[in-house]
Amino acid sequence: MAEVRLTDIRKRFGALEIIKGVDLSIEAGEFVVFVGPSGCGKSTLLRMIAGLEDISSGELTIGGAVMNDVDPSKRGIAMVFQSYALYPHMTVRENMGFALKFAGMAREEIDSRVNDAARILELEPLLDRKPKALSGGQRQRVAIGRAIVRNPLVFLFDEPLSNLDAELRVHMRVEIAKLHKELKSTVIYVTHDQVEAMTLADKIVVLRSGIVEQVGAPLELYDDPANTFVAGFIGSPRMNFLKGRVATIADGHVTVALTSQPEVALTLPIASTSVTTGDAVTLGIRPEHFFAQGMGDAELAVEVDVAEHLGNTSYVYAHVSDSERIIIEHGDVRKIASRETLTIGIAASRSFLFDDEGNRIR
Amino acid sequence: MNAPRFFSTALQYVFLATAAFLSIFPFIWMVISSTNTSIDIISGRTGIGEAFATNVANFFTQVDVPLVFWNSTKVAVLATLLTIVVSSLAGYGFEMFRSKARDRIYALVLLTLMVPFAALMIPLFMMMAKSGLINTHIAIMLPTIASAFIIFYFRQSTKAFQTELRDAAKVDGLKEWQIFLYIYVPVMRSTYAAAFVIVFMTNWNNYLWPLIVLQSNETKTITLVVSSLASAYYPDYGVVMIGTILATLPTLLVFFVMQRQFVQGMLGSVK
Repeated sequence: MAEVRLTDIRKRFGALEIIKGVDLSIEAGEFVVFVGPSGCGKSTLLRMIAGLEDISSGELTIGGAVMNDVDPSKRGIAMVFQSYALYPHMTVRENMGFALKFAGMAREEIDSRVNDAARILELEPLLDRKPKALSGGQRQRVAIGRAIVRNPLVFLFDEPLSNLDAELRVHMRVEIAKLHKELKSTVIYVTHDQVEAMTLADKIVVLRSGIVEQVGAPLELYDDPANTFVAGFIGSPRMNFLKGRVATIADGHVTVALTSQPEVALTLPIASTSVTTGDAVTLGIRPEHFFAQGMGDAELAVEVDVAEHLGNTSYVYAHVSDSERIIIEHGDVRKIASRETLTIGIAASRSFLFDDEGNRIR
Repeated sequence: MNAPRFFSTALQYVFLATAAFLSIFPFIWMVISSTNTSIDIISGRTGIGEAFATNVANFFTQVDVPLVFWNSTKVAVLATLLTIVVSSLAGYGFEMFRSKARDRIYALVLLTLMVPFAALMIPLFMMMAKSGLINTHIAIMLPTIASAFIIFYFRQSTKAFQTELRDAAKVDGLKEWQIFLYIYVPVMRSTYAAAFVIVFMTNWNNYLWPLIVLQSNETKTITLVVSSLASAYYPDYGVVMIGTILATLPTLLVFFVMQRQFVQGMLGSVK
């Protein structure tokens, strides 16, 4: 395992800048997940670390050595691709041992490494099969095995579970987490699935349009998002945002009145001095942080559009006004009907305040 | 089955049977004619005759069969291999490497498909003459090697080749030529097989260009020899038919041996 450092990394295609100056420090043995919507540059950034895309400017080091212009095979990385990228004309054994054979390793050593990896991943009965004779999950394990045998400093995973069905994805997610604990290697993992990010990561890097929006532990991002983008991206269903205006500021507290229901006001503690009375702000409340009537600091009347009852919980899709729609997660409510007016409690301790540009006000 | 459905099905069968008959008739006629004398063929005899052995003997007397077959095989196999190597490299390159000029160059390559061979014959002949290649097999092969159609075919097929395989190979330490050789070629083997069948048939049956550049009997290919038999003052059509059958056999053999791969290659190589 090795640490990975990215210093002002940029990627340009002609005049178009895709990665706009990423600074990132990944410690040895850390499991880091790049997460973000499609087109945010997370896969491009991973491919730049792998050496599959040139770095336009900036510096990449792996284990202290500058790797900007080093061949992918000499960076000490191994990569697992979304489509598995197994060589279809080779057996599982040949696929796993191909890089080692190519590097000129002795036959006995290759066999030993392949057999060890096959044992860890329970691939032993499949070693003589071709990829087309394997299921999706088995192919993914072979792809991981192919990475393991190289004994890399850093594992790179590019959306490795995207092609699997929901059940298998959960299974493989657990397998990858176990594998990381066992191998203790540095892992950089790209996904657009925030559940994968939350469950696997030691550290999540949230990307948007080639810029790192926030870096932190999963619960840090959940509990303390830096802006509306991170707040909306981390957590499922996504955070609700309600427009408001600063009514009063006094004694380190700000009172926000909702635009859609001005009679609803919530008072939150504030340290920032950049906010003034009358400023437009956004109140962020996660679906799971609404309360029953009478339980919060303020009460909000919403009209229910649809209620989804999942058994263990219910999601209520409602609107506060014509333009503001919210999702409420409620453990008890099973008999909510469409068009019903619901009064729910909101609490200052469970609300986030953002300025007009979406940045967090603390 | 109701009446309109029956009528429709019957019509389809009649159409298909007619098309099948028209396709296979020349071959059957060729085989039957090879058993008849030239006079019987001209008089329109359609039954199997007794002159087959005579026709074969006459053919082998008039034609240096081993030399002619060696010439044809050498030209067809070498030209096919060279065409496939050059065209697959070009197709791979056109698909894999991004550049501003790529599509313009590719369009130029495709434009060459629109230039008829008749327009190229004289300049080609002059080039070959200046290079001292007239009456050599190299002169036949050179113009066929960079085939725009086969480049197009390989580029289109390469679109199905997963770029992640190339990425995986790079991570595994392969250089570009090694990726081509050890990953691309085996993965695309059906495409290669289909291309081999197409190019081999084209080269084996090549007539006009060899007719122009080959001038001595020692260098002539089977198509030229059969043609010269047919254009004699008193052509022996029984012998011509034997020559035609023998000329057809290698292409049939290649097709039947590679039939499965050919079909797979035409449908798309990568599964």
